[in-house]
Amino acid sequence: MEQILNILIADDNPSDRILLKAILSQFGHNVISAVDGQDAVEKFDPDTIQLVCLDVKMPRKDGWEAALEIQRAAGDLFVPIIFLSGVADPIALSNCLRIGGTDFISKPYSPALITAKLNAIVRLLVMQKTLEEQRDAMSLYNEQLVHDQNVAKVVYENITHSNCLKDPALSTVHYGTHTFNGDVILAAYKPNGGMHLLLGDFTGHGLSAAIGALPLADIFFDWTKKGFLMRQIIPEINARLKSILPANMFCSAAFIDIKVNNKSIDIWNGGLPDLLFFSQQSKVPVRFESKNLPLGILPPDVFECQIDPVTFVPGNRLVVFSDGVYEAQDKSGAMFCHSVLNPLYEGEIADDQALDWMVEQLTQEGVLENPHDDISCLSIRLDSNIGIESHDHGVPTSHHEAPADFSFEYVLNADSLRNTDPLPYVLQIITTVPGLSSFSSQVFMILSELYSNALEHGVLGLKSDKKSSSDGFSQYYDEREQRLAALKDGFVKISVKVTSSDNERVLALYVEDSGSGFDYQNVNFDMSSSELLYNRGLALLDQLCHKLEFCKGGRGVTAYYHWQVGQDD
Amino acid sequence: MVESSFDDKTECLTISIDGRFDYSCHKLFKEAFVSVNKAVAYEIDLSRVTYLDSSALGMLLLLRDHAGGEKANVHLKKPNGAVLDILKIANFHRLFEIEE
Repeated sequence: MEQILNILIADDNPSDRILLKAILSQFGHNVISAVDGQDAVEKFDPDTIQLVCLDVKMPRKDGWEAALEIQRAAGDLFVPIIFLSGVADPIALSNCLRIGGTDFISKPYSPALITAKLNAIVRLLVMQKTLEEQRDAMSLYNEQLVHDQNVAKVVYENITHSNCLKDPALSTVHYGTHTFNGDVILAAYKPNGGMHLLLGDFTGHGLSAAIGALPLADIFFDWTKKGFLMRQIIPEINARLKSILPANMFCSAAFIDIKVNNKSIDIWNGGLPDLLFFSQQSKVPVRFESKNLPLGILPPDVFECQIDPVTFVPGNRLVVFSDGVYEAQDKSGAMFCHSVLNPLYEGEIADDQALDWMVEQLTQEGVLENPHDDISCLSIRLDSNIGIESHDHGVPTSHHEAPADFSFEYVLNADSLRNTDPLPYVLQIITTVPGLSSFSSQVFMILSELYSNALEHGVLGLKSDKKSSSDGFSQYYDEREQRLAALKDGFVKISVKVTSSDNERVLALYVEDSGSGFDYQNVNFDMSSSELLYNRGLALLDQLCHKLEFCKGGRGVTAYYHWQVGQDD
Repeated sequence: MVESSFDDKTECLTISIDGRFDYSCHKLFKEAFVSVNKAVAYEIDLSRVTYLDSSALGMLLLLRDHAGGEKANVHLKKPNGAVLDILKIANFHRLFEIEE
C-alpha cells in the first residue's frame, strides 16, 4: 500500500498550508502548493497530480468552483478531491461531497486522521487503477473477438449468401442483433425452372445460433442444384440438424417451392408465424399456419412433412417473416401479432407495400433501435418466369468434347414409385455427358414432365382436367398422394440413350408407363391458344425437344434432344 | 423466477416459472430437473409466465430429453393466450401434453 503520491494543495491561509504540506511530506509524498482556487486550477496537471486538497473558502476562486474546473480538466481520469474546511456546518460539508468531492478534512488538522484518510485514498486509487487495467484488457480482448468474428462472418456470408436473393421477384429485410445472427434467408434456382426458398430462425442469437446455418445452407444449395425435391430436402436438413445440434437448439423455418410449370407453390411451415398469400380472389391474405415441428427436433423415423399446395397467377405475392416481427413489442408492450400487424392480416395493406410498411411500423414502435430478436422478412412476387429468364449457369462450353455413346434403362415398380424420386439420379448420370451439363435445366425439365405425366396420368390414372380450378388443383394433389400411397401394381420405365455423330449429339429419353395410354393424336401443342392450366405440359415439351414421338397407344413417349458441339453459341 | 417441488408420493416434479421465461432462467431451470433423479412425471406450471421465447422452447426440449424423449411424461399447465400461441406455432402440442 506504500505509494508516493503527487498532491496538489490549495489554501489561502499560509500557516494551514505549510502545516498540511509538512504532514504530507513527512509520509514521503510530493506536495505542490497553491495560494487560492485560481492558482490551483492553473497548477493542476491531470497527468502528474494524483490527489487534490482544496480549502473551501478562498479568494479569486473558492474550493467548489476550483473542484468543478479540475474535474473538467481531468476528463476520464479519476483524481480524488479532498476538501479542507474550518466550518463544521453539515450542509456545507455535504455540498463538498455532492459536487464530487471524495472526502473532507476538518481543521484544525489531526495527523492521525490525515494518515487514515490518505491510506483510504491510496486504496481507492489502487482499485481504480486495477479497474482501468481490466477495462483496457477487456476492450483489447473485445477488439480481437470482433475482428475474428468479422473474418468468420465473411466465410459465413459466402456460404449462406451464395444464392439468388438478388432475383427481382424477391425483396428481403434483415436486422440482426449481433455480428452473426440466427436468421437465414436462402434462395436457389431449381434446374428445371422455379425456385426453392427457405427462411430459417435458429434458437438464440449470435454465433451459437449462426453455426447451424452452415450445414443447412450446404444441403439446401447442393440438393436443390442436383434436382432433389422439397419433400426430400426437408427431411435431410432435419436429420442433419438433429444429429449435430444440442437438444435445446432447433430451427424454425418455412420452405417454399415455386413451381413455374404448373404455376403453383408448395409451402412447408415448421414453427414460423403464418405465411401470408395475397391474391385477387380474396380481400384478406390466406394464412398458412405452422403445421410442423421446427427442424432439428424430431428423429428422422418420426419426422413428417405437412405441405400445403396453392396455385398462383402472376402478380400474386407471398410474405414470410420470422418471430422477431411477430413477437416484437409495441410501445404499449403488446405483441405485434395482436396489435400492430392487424391491418396486414385484415388485408388493409397493399401487398406490394407490405415489407416497407412493416419496416415503418418496426421503426415507429422503436423495435429497430433496440431489437430483442433477429428480424427477417421476405416478400415474393410470384410469376411463371422465375428461374427461367434470369437463369445463368455460367458453365463454359468446351469446344473439344469427346463424343459419347451409351444407354441405360431404369424401371421403377410400385414400391419404388411410392418411395423414391428417380430424377436426380438419372439427371446426374446424364450430365456426366461432356457438354450436356450446360443444358441440364432443359433436360431436367423434359425429364420431369415426362416422368410426372407417366406417373400421374399413366400409372395413377389421374385426369388432368381436374386441375382447371384452384380447388380442383389441391384435390388433384390430395388424390395423387392417396393413390400413390395405395399403389400396388404398375411401373414406369425410363430409358436413356446418348449418341454422337460428328458435331451432332442426340439424347433420346424414352418413358413408358403401365397405364392405359391416351389419345395423343388430338393434343393441342399450341401454348398461346390454350388458356388452360393443365394442357401446357406436352406443349412445353414440344417446344423444348427436337421431336416428340408417341407409341403403344400413348403409353410410351420418346423425346429427342439435340445439341451441337464445336460451334460458338 | 424458477421454483420447483418434488412430490414423493406421486414422484412428480413440478417446476413453476414466474414472469419472462427466457435465457435468464436457463441455469435455474436446468438445475431444477437435473437435481431430481427419481421423477417419473413432470409438470411445468406456466400460469404465471408472461412471455416465452425460443430459448425457453429449447429448455423444454432439454427437459423432454432428460425425461426420456419419446417416453417422457411432461405436462405443460395453464399457459396464457400469448404463450399458448407460441407453443402452437412451434407445434409443441405434438411433443408435450398441454393443459389449458
